Amino acid sequence: MSTKKYNFNSALVIGGCGFLGGHIVSHILDSDPSISISVMDLRIPNTPPHPSVAYHAGDITSLDDMTRIIQSTRPDVIIHTASPVHGMGRDIYFKVNVEGTRTICRAAKAEGVKAMVFTSSAGVVFDGDDLINVDESAPIPVVAMDAYNDSKAEAEKLALGANCDEFRVCAIRPAGLFGEGDRQLIPGMLSVLANGQTHFQLGDNLNLFDFTYILNAAHAHLLAANQILSPDPSIVSTVAGEAFFITNASPIYFWDFPRTLWSHLSHVSSRHLILPRSLAVVLAGAAECWSWIVGKEPGFTRFRVKFSCANRYYNIGKARRVLGYEPIVGLEEGIRRSLAWVDEEKAKEGK
Amino acid sequence: MGYLELLLRPSELRAITQYKTWHQPLHARDPTTESPNRVRCYELLELTSRSFSAVIQELQPELREPVMLFYLVLRGLDTIEDDMTIPMEKKEPLLREFDGILEKKGWTFTENGPNEKDRQLLVEFDVVIEEFLAIKPNYQEVIKDITSKMGNGMADYAKNASHNINGVQTVEDYDLYCHYVAGLVGEGLSRLFGTSGIEDPRYADLTDLSNSMGLFLQKTNIIRDFREDLDDKRRFWPKEIWSKYCADLSEFADPANEAAALNCISEMTLDALRHATDCLLYLSGLRDQSVFNFCAIPQVMAISTLALVFRNRDVFHRNVKIRKGQACAMIMKAKNLRSVCDIFLDYTREIHRKNTPSDPNFLAISIACGKIEQWTETVFPSQKRLMLQKAEDARKRANELEAAGRNPDGGVSDATRMAIFVILFWVGVTVLMTGVATLFGARFDLAFKRIWEMKWPSAEELAANAEKVGKVVGSATETITRTATVVSETTVVREL
Repeated sequence: MSTKKYNFNSALVIGGCGFLGGHIVSHILDSDPSISISVMDLRIPNTPPHPSVAYHAGDITSLDDMTRIIQSTRPDVIIHTASPVHGMGRDIYFKVNVEGTRTICRAAKAEGVKAMVFTSSAGVVFDGDDLINVDESAPIPVVAMDAYNDSKAEAEKLALGANCDEFRVCAIRPAGLFGEGDRQLIPGMLSVLANGQTHFQLGDNLNLFDFTYILNAAHAHLLAANQILSPDPSIVSTVAGEAFFITNASPIYFWDFPRTLWSHLSHVSSRHLILPRSLAVVLAGAAECWSWIVGKEPGFTRFRVKFSCANRYYNIGKARRVLGYEPIVGLEEGIRRSLAWVDEEKAKEGK
Repeated sequence: MGYLELLLRPSELRAITQYKTWHQPLHARDPTTESPNRVRCYELLELTSRSFSAVIQELQPELREPVMLFYLVLRGLDTIEDDMTIPMEKKEPLLREFDGILEKKGWTFTENGPNEKDRQLLVEFDVVIEEFLAIKPNYQEVIKDITSKMGNGMADYAKNASHNINGVQTVEDYDLYCHYVAGLVGEGLSRLFGTSGIEDPRYADLTDLSNSMGLFLQKTNIIRDFREDLDDKRRFWPKEIWSKYCADLSEFADPANEAAALNCISEMTLDALRHATDCLLYLSGLRDQSVFNFCAIPQVMAISTLALVFRNRDVFHRNVKIRKGQACAMIMKAKNLRSVCDIFLDYTREIHRKNTPSDPNFLAISIACGKIEQWTETVFPSQKRLMLQKAEDARKRANELEAAGRNPDGGVSDATRMAIFVILFWVGVTVLMTGVATLFGARFDLAFKRIWEMKWPSAEELAANAEKVGKVVGSATETITRTATVVSETTVVREL
């Protein structure tokens, strides 16, 4: 027992087949192979990536499913990362994020699970304006920026509200996740490159952004699970019921990230067509009007212009102090690994 | 040349004029109350460094003499170290025992080469010793201790044949070298500040921060002085860095190697930038205004110089310097931490603007700039101002609604009355204008008749025109939309 590295013997990763969940599973196995890990997800792959991991298919909005799976896995801690992909409607967001989280909390309490780490989002504090070096004292806006962040904020409130001595809960708020398995950020930037549009720039590129390499977020979840089940009550009290921003602790100017990515692929744009924020907002407004007239979903929106031109970076002092978190992989290495993964995926498709 | 440059930049000419006209020393020195020895010391200070002389003389009287003497003693040490005409067997004991020399009244040194710039300081060093022995013992102790460490460090380097032939090897060596020639100066000054009681006594122990203060200045100078040092056959850029970009430092001057040279200077700048937040942290705790000025002015000069040398090809061909107007403007501005942070941010962003993805240090430079930005935001949080502003706006809106609610009839009445007035006014003006026009012979009846009979375009024509316009607008927005969609879409990151 004294050789035990972490304070839990078993974990259930909900959403463990997803981008973040998959990395959490791998990271825990790499850190301590003796921990018994179970995965629950809506769909289970035909060939499970980890033989030592038990995979369970189930719906987190179903109390029966949750109860059955918790009974068969008996986890010390639940790591709840499940969340709908971007592009779903409001109803799906609230059903999965809010009702799903409610169901998990209910089932976990009933079955005597000791703790849960909930994956929230740094976006829960975003209201369309700058987020300049904000910490966890920043309020969740009354009027959310969009349905996704609204549902995520509601879910976080619900999860942290479920925290009690018998069932401890904390929330991890990662910002700007990218890495192997990334289906949104890296591929999106690569398609800009493929479309020959790398010379466009919205805003003056003086706004800072926090990107987080996926393994660092996985590491934060492991640290949180460990601390929240500490035998020391004074440690537990600083973690349970709390939310933590997680970043790479390296905010950079927004457009420097895609440009770094493109330079790794031997592309450097020699000129930039800079659209000032105010002009871009007007053009976006016009584009939205046009989309409305023709009955299409708008792609170029005022929200996205504001998003690209806003500061969004965070003070992770709390995660450092309480969880002992430090990013273990830097941005440059994270980008290198992500691109290596993209190459591997292309090779597989080519085969 | 200088004047032409000034005319091209009126704001800097204004800064120089203002500086010369209005700048008032915080603590003006009065030579008439000083002993002849002390007066001579200040003259020697002026001879060796006009810029530092000006700043030292503005220090609080308690610190002015100790700092002045500290400077002269180290300059004396440096004059011996620098002199290539002094044989090693004579130089080494002088360097190692220089702290002991400070107690030998009447000691002077007349064996510097005739071209050694500051030899006069050593010819009259007895004057310096006399004044040194007159200051408080605790200040003497600090100066002697630093002198001993620096002297031994310099002697070690002077004896190091490999260092003299090959220059600095690793980044660690680079830091150590800069520690001996500059970090120790920062440490010594901090101990003088702490010992004096004018600043928090803990400054005497902040060796990491004071070392960074020294290293930031020294590294900036080493980058800037590339050409001058190369011409003097000295090499201070660490081989660990430059060997990634060329086989020998001298190759950087070749235009064919410009890309590699600029990338190397970028990495040198990156290395220096890591000290920036330590410098700001050091400055943030200072209390006395003259001490703050004394410490802050060289640091803002350094960040300005770093922005100047960053990816600047001129560094490899000549000595680059910040403009005098620029320097005066910064000296007058750097009076408090907020202003210093603003200056640091301005130059950090200048470095950022010059940054290019073709540089292998591109992302690392961006991260280094981001750290400075984040540091200043931690100390002067604009987010809190934004939030307070929002709260204020919300409160105002609530008050307005309440006020409107409190007098619903009055409010409605006022609005209604205003609307009625506007309508009547415009109707009146219209009638008046129409009447006058009619009197002058306008035939409105014919105009209306013609309008009534005018043929309108057919539905088909309207549809065709709309389609043409739609295509143009559609293709324009499509292009912008596609780019913005993909880039902004990917930043709206969701967890899966």
